[in-house]
Amino acid sequence: MTLTSDNKATNTQELITATIDGIQMQVPKGTLIIRAAEKMGTFVPRFCDHPSLAPVAACRMCLVEIEGMPKPQPSCAIPLTEGMVVKTQMTSKVAEDAQAGVMEFLLINHPLDCPVCDKGGECPLQNQAMTAGRTESRFEIEKRTFPKPLELSTEILLDRERCVECARCTRFSEEIAGDPFIELLERGAKQQVGIATDEPFNSYFSGNTVQICPVGALTSSAYRFRSRPFDLVSVKTTCEHCAAGCSLRTDYRRETVMRRLAWEDPEVNEDWNCDKGRFAFGYLKTNRLTQPKVRNLDGNQIDALWPDAVDIAAAGLANAQGKVAVLLGGRLTLEDAYAYSKFARVALGTNNIDFRNRDHSEEEQQFLGSAVAGNHNSVTYKELENAQNVILVSFEPEEESPIIFLRLRKAMQKGNLKVTAIAPYLSKGLEKLNAEVVATKPGEEGKVLSGIDIVENSIILIGERAAAIPGLLSVALEVSNKTQSKISWIPRRAGERGALEAGALPALLPGARPVADASARSEVAKVWGVSNSKIPSEPGLDHSQIIKAAINGELKALIIAGLDVLDAPDPKLFSEAINAVDFVITIGVQENSLTRYANVSLPVAPVTEKSGTFINWEGRPRPFGKAIGSTNALTDARVLSMIAESMDLDFGLQIIEDLRMELSELGIWNGSKLEKPQFESKEIVDFKNDNVILSTWHQLLDEGAMQVGEEHLAGTQKSSVAYLSEETAKQNNLTTGDLVTVLNTRGSITLPLEIIEMVNKVIWIPFNSKDSKVKQSLGAKEGDIMLIEKGKV
Amino acid sequence: MSVKEITAEHIEELEVLAAKYPVRRSALLPMLHYVQSVQGMVSPKGIQTCATVLDLTPAEVAAVATFYTMFKRFPMGKHHIGVCINTLCALLGGDDLWKELTETLGIGHDETTSDSMFTIERIECQAACTVAPVMTVNWEFMDSMDPAKLKELIEKLKTGAPVQSTRGTLITSISDSERLLAGFNDGKVNDSPDADDSMLAGLRVAKERNMTAPIGKGVR
Repeated sequence: MTLTSDNKATNTQELITATIDGIQMQVPKGTLIIRAAEKMGTFVPRFCDHPSLAPVAACRMCLVEIEGMPKPQPSCAIPLTEGMVVKTQMTSKVAEDAQAGVMEFLLINHPLDCPVCDKGGECPLQNQAMTAGRTESRFEIEKRTFPKPLELSTEILLDRERCVECARCTRFSEEIAGDPFIELLERGAKQQVGIATDEPFNSYFSGNTVQICPVGALTSSAYRFRSRPFDLVSVKTTCEHCAAGCSLRTDYRRETVMRRLAWEDPEVNEDWNCDKGRFAFGYLKTNRLTQPKVRNLDGNQIDALWPDAVDIAAAGLANAQGKVAVLLGGRLTLEDAYAYSKFARVALGTNNIDFRNRDHSEEEQQFLGSAVAGNHNSVTYKELENAQNVILVSFEPEEESPIIFLRLRKAMQKGNLKVTAIAPYLSKGLEKLNAEVVATKPGEEGKVLSGIDIVENSIILIGERAAAIPGLLSVALEVSNKTQSKISWIPRRAGERGALEAGALPALLPGARPVADASARSEVAKVWGVSNSKIPSEPGLDHSQIIKAAINGELKALIIAGLDVLDAPDPKLFSEAINAVDFVITIGVQENSLTRYANVSLPVAPVTEKSGTFINWEGRPRPFGKAIGSTNALTDARVLSMIAESMDLDFGLQIIEDLRMELSELGIWNGSKLEKPQFESKEIVDFKNDNVILSTWHQLLDEGAMQVGEEHLAGTQKSSVAYLSEETAKQNNLTTGDLVTVLNTRGSITLPLEIIEMVNKVIWIPFNSKDSKVKQSLGAKEGDIMLIEKGKV
Repeated sequence: MSVKEITAEHIEELEVLAAKYPVRRSALLPMLHYVQSVQGMVSPKGIQTCATVLDLTPAEVAAVATFYTMFKRFPMGKHHIGVCINTLCALLGGDDLWKELTETLGIGHDETTSDSMFTIERIECQAACTVAPVMTVNWEFMDSMDPAKLKELIEKLKTGAPVQSTRGTLITSISDSERLLAGFNDGKVNDSPDADDSMLAGLRVAKERNMTAPIGKGVR
């Protein structure tokens, strides 16, 4: 557990002198007795105490003797004071007896079901009953029981008879997550954790309560009765779901991942992670590709041996003679993205590569190339925590980067931080940050950003959605310069920042080197062992241009890797493009709707079956090791090496060490970067009454490809609703509870309407939730003009 | 018994209560009493409504509503009858009163008669031990009770004959009392005296004899 660096005590330098167990020590004023004892190596037993939660002294387990006090005191809630003399159970019979007494009380109603309890083997109650308890209970009458388990949500279950009322879970929910959906109900002997009727514990952070529960009272539906802790092998990994870069503990048994926990990392995720990172790993077992497939002469896909599939892939690419492009999905590791970046240039002789399988623009590429890639002075979590002013642009922290949300909330609670959001409405998440919203229509963020007062040394956090708004990223950079404020780009997917650093963009080589820069090309060519002319000097096509070129017959082959067509900026055009080219190679973990179009389909390893690195939004490398080896699944880099070999090229990226060596050889680029973007904003044209501007973003838990196979988690999703302002609803004869249909020429989405306080002439709908799949149904993006009408049942 | 819906007018009155306090959530206890005056109980819907008005989560409101025994999560009858079962009252006849009450009405603690007239409860000390055994009807005092008086009281309440607290106040219904507890004045504040002679007897004697409280040894 953390010895919190943000503890009030460590901020002040004032030291006091006190004695614990006869050892005199100096500690910062304000240090709790239990922490000071920990530092000198004495563990005082505890349940309710958690270094990241405020003291509460609820469980009474940590009683110690303090000279001058009439009775034992809880060491978790009392700071050491000058001259204080404390005796723990190590030197005091009084303390030892007090602890044993508390333990006896705690065990009165606690069942003896350790052999079937999930916590058994890693249970603080079990362990401390051994060290600080009586060997035998004097309680002989019947124990209290409850019907079990109580379903707090579809994911979180509660066995009330195991609970010791430490209130860690309720305090976490209120203090850290800001979601007090669970509370201590009833009183006295009946006291129990519970939810209100019909209001389940649907918090994005609910899984943390299972992890911090010091007994087996809270369990997850996903893991309940699945395994014993001592049968598990634990590996430190990095979460693959978003760009937060959470450190995780992946526990597996017999080559199957059983559960994932937050691995404490004070610099990044502290003690926490989100429910998506914790529970969404069912995709590892869902629709997995295990065998290469090739299309035979009859047009049918058949299983193939690796060497054959690789040879066919190589021949297909050679046939295309440079009329090739590489489309990536933003979820690759740094190493794999780098392999694609190198492969495109060295093996295919093209700069046609783009990792942005989402709305994007040339403006964004320039923004990334000039202000994000290779920026070693970017914002960190710590800086967010100490910031005075943070401005959010096209970014909804709780939904799009939940660990940033937690850190901002922590800063806000310390009383330092003012959050300003340029957004269409004050969301629940922003409310929890006490944020001030400047109500803004999508498309006008730039105008608003340059209009508001921004004090110097603010931090601007700009989300990936900004790419859909012309001119916004250009304005954001200007504002950041003018106000001496740092700006940080927050991508959603875990692999985006790494792919950017790896040069998986048409105008960038690895390390922020512009392809148009001759010395940049020659630096890279030298490391790659190819002639300077091998790397094309002209920037290639970006994702949208690749799609267009393919449809126009200008491309012959496509490599599509780690990508779901349903995430594409326009899934319909994407499908047309695939049909238009002669030769398609898909490389991926799961079978999806693209696989069947492939001439060659190659399976690769998911994160659990390889080592690699994600670069999080801070630019911080988050390397991780392989958890499961027995599948022998190959990395993307290894597969590309095999294809290159078949093309008679010395590619040299067989193993992770090769990749890391080469990346370090490339080093830091000190030359020119891409030009700063200077794009004009688009004026919003006047539009008709039944027209509105579309605002939309991903909800953290939705229908995303990597959340499949997790029914319990899916049960905690927010329900899909559309939001309108009262005025806009009235203009369209709509009221709360009506169905509203959003439509364009492509299709429509119909959702229940909720009227909230928000900017007029804008409709908000979820991006990829149940009944609301913006890309699939509308092919639209934020800022598009849509028609609305009353929906039919 | 169907539970009365909370309407827009009720929400307006809840807003009046919330506005009385510098921090709105301080109004939660009065608001729960108000909900109880409307619904005869605190229903999940009532919890939800308080949560919405105060911008709390329903769980936070439920934590409060379930902590205090005065808030009922089942529909109460028209009248709430309490019998003090703490030591002094019990010894002076409280236990007999409770036995009489349960036998007469055929129900137990925190239960309601099938005609929805009465809900009975074993209550804790009401700070009126000088007039033990003590009962309450709709939280108005019934001092120095005995089984015969109790029988008569029940009969009167059943037939709707006027009943007064032994201290004077006219007894109407638990709903009215809950509304008063919520902070809506019923204008009857002077109907009962603050204290009668028996309650002040001890003080009188102490003054006559110049008695003072002993000075404690003090705890460090």
